[in-house]
Amino acid sequence: MTPVLELRGLTKLYAGVPAVENINFTLMPGEVHALLGENGAGKSTLTKMIAGVVEPTAGEILLDGKTVHLDTPADALKAGIAMVFQETSLVPSMTVAQNLFMGNEHFFNRLRGINIAAQQFMQALNFQVDPTAVVQTLGAAKKQMIEIARAMLSNARIIVFDEPTATLTPEEKKHFFDLVKTLKGRGVAIIFISHALEEALAISDRITILRDGTHVVTDQTAAFDRARIVQSMVGRSLSEELYGKKKDVIRPPGERILQVSNLRVGNMVRNNSLSVFAGQVTGVFGLVGSGRTETFKVVSGAIKRNYLNGGEVFIRGKRVRYRVPAQSLKEKIAYITEDRKIEGFFETMSIKLNIAMGKLAKLGWRKFWLRRSELNRLGDEWSKSLHIRAVSKDAKVIELSGGNQQKVVIAKSLIQEPDLIIFDEPTRGVDVGAIAEIHQMINRLADEGKAVVVISSYLPEIMQLSDRLLVARQGRVVEEFSPLDATEERLMYAAVH
Amino acid sequence: MQGSSIQTSHRSRAFGIFRGPGKAAGFDQLKIVSLLFVVIFVVYALLLPGFFTVGNLLTLMRTVAVLGILGLGMAIVVIGRGIDLSMIASLAVPSALVLMLAASGYSVFVAIGLGICMAIGIGILNGILVAYAEIPSLFTTLAVGIGIAGVGQIGLFDYEIVSWPPQLDVIAWIGRGSIAGLPYSVLAFLATAILVGIFLRGTRPGLFVYASGDNPGAARLTGIPLRPVMVMQYVMSSCIAFFAGLVLSASSASMDTRIFNLTWIYDVILVVVLGGIGLSGGRGGVANVIIGTLLIGTVMNGLTIMDVSFEMQNLVRGLVLLLAVLADSLINPRNEETAQQGDI
Repeated sequence: MTPVLELRGLTKLYAGVPAVENINFTLMPGEVHALLGENGAGKSTLTKMIAGVVEPTAGEILLDGKTVHLDTPADALKAGIAMVFQETSLVPSMTVAQNLFMGNEHFFNRLRGINIAAQQFMQALNFQVDPTAVVQTLGAAKKQMIEIARAMLSNARIIVFDEPTATLTPEEKKHFFDLVKTLKGRGVAIIFISHALEEALAISDRITILRDGTHVVTDQTAAFDRARIVQSMVGRSLSEELYGKKKDVIRPPGERILQVSNLRVGNMVRNNSLSVFAGQVTGVFGLVGSGRTETFKVVSGAIKRNYLNGGEVFIRGKRVRYRVPAQSLKEKIAYITEDRKIEGFFETMSIKLNIAMGKLAKLGWRKFWLRRSELNRLGDEWSKSLHIRAVSKDAKVIELSGGNQQKVVIAKSLIQEPDLIIFDEPTRGVDVGAIAEIHQMINRLADEGKAVVVISSYLPEIMQLSDRLLVARQGRVVEEFSPLDATEERLMYAAVH
Repeated sequence: MQGSSIQTSHRSRAFGIFRGPGKAAGFDQLKIVSLLFVVIFVVYALLLPGFFTVGNLLTLMRTVAVLGILGLGMAIVVIGRGIDLSMIASLAVPSALVLMLAASGYSVFVAIGLGICMAIGIGILNGILVAYAEIPSLFTTLAVGIGIAGVGQIGLFDYEIVSWPPQLDVIAWIGRGSIAGLPYSVLAFLATAILVGIFLRGTRPGLFVYASGDNPGAARLTGIPLRPVMVMQYVMSSCIAFFAGLVLSASSASMDTRIFNLTWIYDVILVVVLGGIGLSGGRGGVANVIIGTLLIGTVMNGLTIMDVSFEMQNLVRGLVLLLAVLADSLINPRNEETAQQGDI
């Protein structure tokens, strides 16, 4: 059988530095091919070349055995290659049908016409989406369905999924996997990029692993297990260090730093009560919509007070109500955001300045003059102690890999010397090596006597880190576990029922 | 992907304090516009008789000095991800108030003091509406500008043109005199440039302006006093505009309050954007304003020597801006893909 897509010696240089080098890759019709690797391994560059976004420096792309040149994404689309990005490319204020047919409308576009066409098309795909619904009212999974439908509408034979499950809840994920099976049944070849290794193992037929822009291994999925994948990805065995052993010692609780009682925020947080103690990692597990982020954003002042409907927040026994994060900063509270691109770092500034910014903000209006040498010293000190790796000292944060970006955001908060540190999804979009370092950092902070909160939807992570486990559901904490006797099944059961 | 950043990291330090902390984006347009300026200057000097003379160059600088001062004020706001369309009103009304108060017998100090108070008031009004009432700066400052101009025209001044009273002659030098051949208005521009440069590069509030313009959400979460910083930047822009107004009225011996109805504010925005201070905030610095001002001044001066009509000059101004922005986006394509280089 001829592969539907074949790459021969594909290479891309950026300023003489190879981002991917001499990659050979085949994709069979109806195959799900997982593409794995750490951030910076070259997955995105490779798929961008396939999708016509980036031009290869050397090498060939063959479709059905014939060499093609894909200069623009439109060329790739015409050739039957569609890409479904992590951040959806839909217009939120338009309806499903309008989004589906965007760019292919007739000059006189009849809404009724496209609604009917969309309805028929969605039914043919067995997607349960109302074509007249406005996209911004839909959940992440439905949005993804629309993206997929759009790809199918352009008669795509090859679909590239870049981190498709990152924003989905477990139920939605299950639905997504069913979808992939349907697509596969129709003979569509799929390239699947993910950080979630279990998913790749469950869903794919073959797995290709990249490391530092080069091809490491391609093999049948059955020949892989988690340990082998991780080892191939990082070139060292990290799986033990990361999630291998079950927690057997827990830190005893210290002073009660935070107490939340009967907190209500909009309709996201409903009568939430919880406590956080010093010298411990408190893990908060919950699905999207469980109000866990909102609760801690109120604690740190990141959510405005006018959304706060009731309840009390006590810091070290003192009742507080913050309007802005600047106030909680004074009480030594730091909230490290789950969305570093939107509210994490300053993209035009260097790493050093980003980190030093935390210190400057802490000092507020005092000390009018800046001392550059001091800023540089602080920045260097912290990027060294957190092992932030960049091509040059003056590199901007936007040019770093996800893991290094996350470390910059963490450093920016830790430089403020907080006593209560709230990590919201600290390892989302972070490569395996950096995950281990961030976990070590979280443990070290707790050992130093800080109160640490880790919000995560990744069970192995939260079970590995926490000394206490809180499970949130529909706006409040519903159950508390000790990590010694908790299992993934029990936590998930508490989170969904 | 990180390879592409290697060249930009080793940049020259020629402009020192005039640079913003942002690098590639503002810097590259700065380079292009500087080059364009040098080319046009050399071409003019070779081809246009009377261009490269001391007298003409001084005229050139004098004509753009006030525009440059205004550009510096606008730059602060634009770096903080805002825009101040009320600058012309803050230029005209408080300075006309100073002229009027001085003419009716108040001492120079009282007159100027009240003028400063009014300028600060306009800035605080802008800032509070933008930062606390969360109205987009475009609408806020447009409305405030029209309002202040209206207040001046209806309530304060008897005539549309307020003339320079002899009582103020003690400070008339800021617009008229010269030292070693350099007009004071040009020196005023340079002094403002140095002060704004020091503020933006060397002080904590200056860095806060960059941070809040770069990423307001991150600035807020980091604990930077985001809203006070916004108020501060509008106060600074209207105070700088007031200063520009004093220079302008001293040099023309009057203040025409109808100036607000002209399209001057667009020239100010032109200077800022042309120099490479992105409207998306957080980028650029004083060097960008200086070079943008010089470029526009040179182009216009040459056209005046060539006796090109005013309408034609407008056309050229538009083309220059388009060219500069075009060249920048050709050299640094700023699509989503290159903007998000976190992952390969």
